[in-house]
Amino acid sequence: MKERSRAIWVKFKSSKRNLYSLYIFSFIFLLSIFAELISNDKPILMMIDDKLYFPLVLEYKETHFGGVFETEADYKDDFMQELIKKNNNWAIFPINPNSYNTINLNKSTPNPAPPSLDNYLGTDDRGRDVLARLIYGFRLSVIFAFMLTIIAVIIGIFFGAIQGYFVGRTDLFLQRFIEIWSSMPELYLLIIFSSLFEPSLSLLIILLSLFGWIGLSDYVRAEFLKGRNMDYVVAARTMGLSNYKIITKHILPNSMISVITFLPFRISGAILILTSLDFLGLGVPPDTPSLGELLSQGKESIEAWWLSLTTFFVLVGTLLLLIFIGEGIRESMDSRS
Amino acid sequence: MSKNLLNIENLSINYVDTEHTKSIIKNISIQVKEGEILGLVGESGSGKSMTGLAINSLLDKKKFIATEGKIFFDDDNILEKSEEDLLKIRGNKISMIFQEPMLSLNPVQTLKTQICEVIKLHITDDESRFPDIIESIFSKCGLEYEDKILNSYAHMLSGGQRQRAMIAISVVCNPKLLIADEPTTALDVTLQLQVLELLKKLSKENGMSLILISHDLDLIKNYTDNVVIMKDGKIEEANSTKEIFDSPQSNYTKQLINCRPVRMIEQNNSNQELLKINNLNCRFLTQNSFFKNKKKYFYALTDINLSLNVGETLGVVGESGSGKSTLAMSILQLLKYQGQIIFDGASLELMNKEDLRNQRKDFQIVFQDPYSSLSPRLNILEILSEGLSVYGNYTDSQLINSCEELLNEVGLESSMMYRYPHQFSGGQRQRIAIARAISLKPKLVIMDEPTSALDVVVQKNILDLIISIQRKYNLSYIFISHDIKVVGAISHKICVLKKSEIVEFGDTNSILNNPKSDYTQQLIRSTSFSS
Repeated sequence: MKERSRAIWVKFKSSKRNLYSLYIFSFIFLLSIFAELISNDKPILMMIDDKLYFPLVLEYKETHFGGVFETEADYKDDFMQELIKKNNNWAIFPINPNSYNTINLNKSTPNPAPPSLDNYLGTDDRGRDVLARLIYGFRLSVIFAFMLTIIAVIIGIFFGAIQGYFVGRTDLFLQRFIEIWSSMPELYLLIIFSSLFEPSLSLLIILLSLFGWIGLSDYVRAEFLKGRNMDYVVAARTMGLSNYKIITKHILPNSMISVITFLPFRISGAILILTSLDFLGLGVPPDTPSLGELLSQGKESIEAWWLSLTTFFVLVGTLLLLIFIGEGIRESMDSRS
Repeated sequence: MSKNLLNIENLSINYVDTEHTKSIIKNISIQVKEGEILGLVGESGSGKSMTGLAINSLLDKKKFIATEGKIFFDDDNILEKSEEDLLKIRGNKISMIFQEPMLSLNPVQTLKTQICEVIKLHITDDESRFPDIIESIFSKCGLEYEDKILNSYAHMLSGGQRQRAMIAISVVCNPKLLIADEPTTALDVTLQLQVLELLKKLSKENGMSLILISHDLDLIKNYTDNVVIMKDGKIEEANSTKEIFDSPQSNYTKQLINCRPVRMIEQNNSNQELLKINNLNCRFLTQNSFFKNKKKYFYALTDINLSLNVGETLGVVGESGSGKSTLAMSILQLLKYQGQIIFDGASLELMNKEDLRNQRKDFQIVFQDPYSSLSPRLNILEILSEGLSVYGNYTDSQLINSCEELLNEVGLESSMMYRYPHQFSGGQRQRIAIARAISLKPKLVIMDEPTSALDVVVQKNILDLIISIQRKYNLSYIFISHDIKVVGAISHKICVLKKSEIVEFGDTNSILNNPKSDYTQQLIRSTSFSS
């Protein structure tokens, strides 16, 4: 197994495109995991009256600094800004001093505002920073896609394995069930559920994973149908191995190639699904940073190029990288060439 | 007759890949005279098929590069000919037939279309002459000239008819040279004889030269004038057939000739019965219906009665589709069947799941294809210790020890236990499969064609191993094979299966020397080529 993985890795990195795609994607994703450190309206570190504060991790009330409100301090407010500039006080802000829901209130231009020194990529129609929303939106999309894919893969493998291994009646019933299940109108269900319940990311993941496993289970089923008749499986049965052991030890490892090959494509597909749903307003709640919502804003105010173009490039870049990686994996796993 | 029709001079061919270059044919020279039958013998991978393809210039010129040498056919160098000239030679002057007629005939065209295509291309455009040409070639090839055959597709013909049709298509233009690449390997033994006789007859009648590529020495001995023995892309020995078999020069040839199986076992004196099969029937549903009497079944086994003593080998012989493997699966309790299988005094079909699982370790199986019988994702240690861990708790070091013992037992080094199956050759893999089968110390091992996928030299070694293990552990075997020579060499009893029924069952000696049924006689005759 180890040896085979090493061979696949050697083949994968023999193509520069594969390797760079993987590096760039991993780097960007890793950066976006620490989005709070890169793009935030709270200082990472702050020194006020010779006392160190960590606003990023700890919540300080405005009254703490001598303000009026009992709420958390707004560090971009004039009151705090002046306090920071006094005496020996200082504060380290992240590179982009805006969070995804920071509204720039001290601005003369109407929203959406074009790129400026305050907002490097401009603001959206509610005055929120586009760059921050892109960073957080990217992170959300990718994590969402990972989760959706993992859940779908687990369910898909489970059903595919049961169908392919036990065949006969089990297979027949499950196959009919899948046919009925997949003929349910997915989008329609989403619309109904998003009006019944409060839209949230977890609801979206649950609803989408109810259907996402169907295509995958077919591949796993086919692999298992092939695998169950291999001589080594018959030999394992004559040795008295339990079905569970035969499935996990003998058939599954040999069927994983088709699953792994599909993974990057499923991830990019999931990103697209989330974006499209958000674009249609059926996705995540309105306050959440999302690429789809930015795109739909871009459609609304077509002259605000910084909305549509930037989102477009982020989306295209992400999908392109994932597809390159996926193709690389598929090629390196193909034992024929 | 003395003129050289084909003259290959110092031919070397390299296989060029994007990454590496591999030399597959190394400096070979072969001469074929007019009307001569030349045998090309070698193991798989020895380059014999490549040579055949090279003569017809059918190798992909971008990947297979002839680095040196010449192929003279009728005094013209084939390697220098253009593709257009080659088209006139292929099928017209040099023809080929392949191993599997089902694959070389086009499944969506009738036989008539396919044979007319060749006639039109190489003989005449005049369609009124076609029936005569076809009739004469059909009568030569032993096919009946009737619409039923002409208008049938490949799958509608029987195996013998298919190969005859294939031969008819290849020789319709009266080629000067016919290359037959393992023409009988895919056929049942009774058909092999007929096809070879046909080829020999055609060669004599038309003065056609024939290159017979095969791994079967008996076939070569009986049907060829001269033999070329190839190994690893090189010619090991070339001589007249008589010389080769009477006084082989090279070590490899000697090895090849000596490894033809001869009787390898002694009499078994045990009277203790291990396995008894009573009235075994096995059927598969071919047409399902709600009503019981409308269901249709295919009977894979009917009324099988067998018995096997401890330490004894039962050889099961039969053509493909005769129910040999179904018998094995039934005994292993992997198929539903009707009847009774008594193993070690207990009726297997009456056992509950738990008892059956405990009993399972007493009967194991070795398969034909060593490439699909070992899971590619597990190393040898994992493969060999798998069975043990089902029946008890062993520590890692105990498993490693038993794995070492098993590997030594089958003649492999214990240092190999961390390797993966793909790092072994076919013969080594089969040894590992045998080690796995004996890892649970079974009483019965079923060998389902364990040597059929192996080269003859390796086959002999595996048979030796099987027998030494039997002596040591007093094991019983059921040895399934289509090759009555192999079965005869190692079995105490033989059971001949045909179309899911037992044709004959008895002592090896009595069956081989005094076969009662026509079918058994035919089997023995066709394999020993005693013509």
